Amino acid sequence: MIKDSLNRIWILCMKNVFLYIKKGPVLIFGLMFPFFMTLSWVIGRDISLEQVFIGIVAMTSFFTATAISPVVLPVETREKSLERILSSPISLNEILLGILFASTLYSLIITSIITVIFMVMFSIAFNSLIVIILMFLGIGLMSFLGSLLGLLIAANPTDMTSDVMIIINLVKFPLLFISGIFIPLQNSSPSMIFISFVSPITFLTDLLRFCVDRSNFFTYSFDILMLTLWIIVLFIVSYALHKRTMPKRLSEAGKSKKKMIMMKKNM
Amino acid sequence: MKTTQNQNLNAHPVAINVLNLVKRFGALIAVDDVSFKIAPGEIVGILGPNGAGKTTTIRLLTGVFQLESNAKIEIFGKDITENPSKYKKHFGIVPEISNAFSDYSVWQNLKFSGRIYGISKGKVEERSKILLTQFNLIEKMYSKTKTLSKGLKQRLNFCLALLHEPPILILDEPTSGLDPISAKLMRTQILKLKREGKTILITTHDMQEAQNICDRILIMNRGKIIADESPNTLREQFKSTSTILFKIGGELSAEQENALLNMFNIIKEKNDYYVFSSYNTLKDISRLYKFSKERNIKISDLKVRETSLEEVFIHLIKEDLFVIKEDVEK
Repeated sequence: MIKDSLNRIWILCMKNVFLYIKKGPVLIFGLMFPFFMTLSWVIGRDISLEQVFIGIVAMTSFFTATAISPVVLPVETREKSLERILSSPISLNEILLGILFASTLYSLIITSIITVIFMVMFSIAFNSLIVIILMFLGIGLMSFLGSLLGLLIAANPTDMTSDVMIIINLVKFPLLFISGIFIPLQNSSPSMIFISFVSPITFLTDLLRFCVDRSNFFTYSFDILMLTLWIIVLFIVSYALHKRTMPKRLSEAGKSKKKMIMMKKNM
Repeated sequence: MKTTQNQNLNAHPVAINVLNLVKRFGALIAVDDVSFKIAPGEIVGILGPNGAGKTTTIRLLTGVFQLESNAKIEIFGKDITENPSKYKKHFGIVPEISNAFSDYSVWQNLKFSGRIYGISKGKVEERSKILLTQFNLIEKMYSKTKTLSKGLKQRLNFCLALLHEPPILILDEPTSGLDPISAKLMRTQILKLKREGKTILITTHDMQEAQNICDRILIMNRGKIIADESPNTLREQFKSTSTILFKIGGELSAEQENALLNMFNIIKEKNDYYVFSSYNTLKDISRLYKFSKERNIKISDLKVRETSLEEVFIHLIKEDLFVIKEDVEK
């Protein structure tokens, strides 16, 4: 039973990777955004290579993780393929996990490649293998967390990708700016440090600082704990919201208030 | 193997047993206490105007929407809520609009479906080739779904629905918007599937189609089933009703036309025929002539037609709306 379920999740995950990796919003928000954000941050500033490396890895991980998961459901609602999947022997949980794993896998692969490239390019040295493992654990947690955040925003029962992308960008950028990527927490005011708790990127950045040059503000175990807590909260909220909004997403009447009013009038 | 399994299932007296289905969208009740049974091998049509609740009923049946507490659906005697994944395998669903993945090719869609239903790779290839040949789609096997015409997409939907050899087929307006050749191919395939013993539930707007292929018809309006009979019984029940058609020689004044339309509850058709239903043909014709003589109206080209299923449908829907209007007024 569990084996069958895992198999279905894997099939859905592969379908999502295959179908959505080349979609415009995924390429723009997953690859181009972190690239141009890094450029605009680095050019003309006196920033150490270690700090640039931390920024690049954190931004790539966060942006790639939030690229696929918000796109799948609106597209499949519009194409009606979501209804096809739901009427086949697949549960809502399996659909959501299929999206989460696809998004996490995409983020992990891209971030790992970028990390290795810049490690070599900037000659970043690590003290031990455990530190490297910790860094990839952080990247893994952020990939899953970012995917969950994308999935949470996609609970908005719309069939327009642009509707979801607008909301997720409204959430993503403030989270990025308060996270300590651009201004290390050591240099921030107490109120900014307090606000930075709202952004999960704070804890990835801090973990990366520990791994790269020990310029961390919190302890690495606290960072991992906070990332895990964020994952648990986002998972629960995201699942509950999807369960609530799924009937609305699938009903013709649920798609817009205007349609609903028209239906009532016709009756 | 699968056919034997289907034959065993068909030994059960009831293929689908639906009890007290309800679906609400806020204040709107889309499906209102719907119950019906379908015997194995039977083709049942659901007819109804737009917004009647046909598609919502199908979505409840196929597990897309969750059932409300009192509702119950049994497939071959087993409650579907016990193991939804298992019972969903009994259904093959053909939607009105293609819901295959548009960026997948025909073959990739079939392969994906096969894997989801747990069919082995070899079996998927074998079944796909049979179905693609049966639905004249083999040449498009490697074409992307988004490049197919509506008719071809609908053929693919049939292939996807039949891939796992389900004993029950649910067809949601399968011929809607298709060219006559594709629509004919679909109807031929539906009748072939009936001969193979499949249980079929079909929603349609096409009365002729319902009359030709259905064993039984459920008429839905405002979320309720207002009639459940065979096409012949439905027409039999309304046999006493005829349709009287006539034209008017010359021009009618607005006053004359209003009087005429009100007197007999007449509808004016696009072809200039005035039409009304009659329970007593001779009496109504004589009333019509008396009325026209008094008002100096020239009646021409008078015809009496036997009631078609379409007219029964319109009559039932009108009657239902009339009852609701009376209830509201009370």
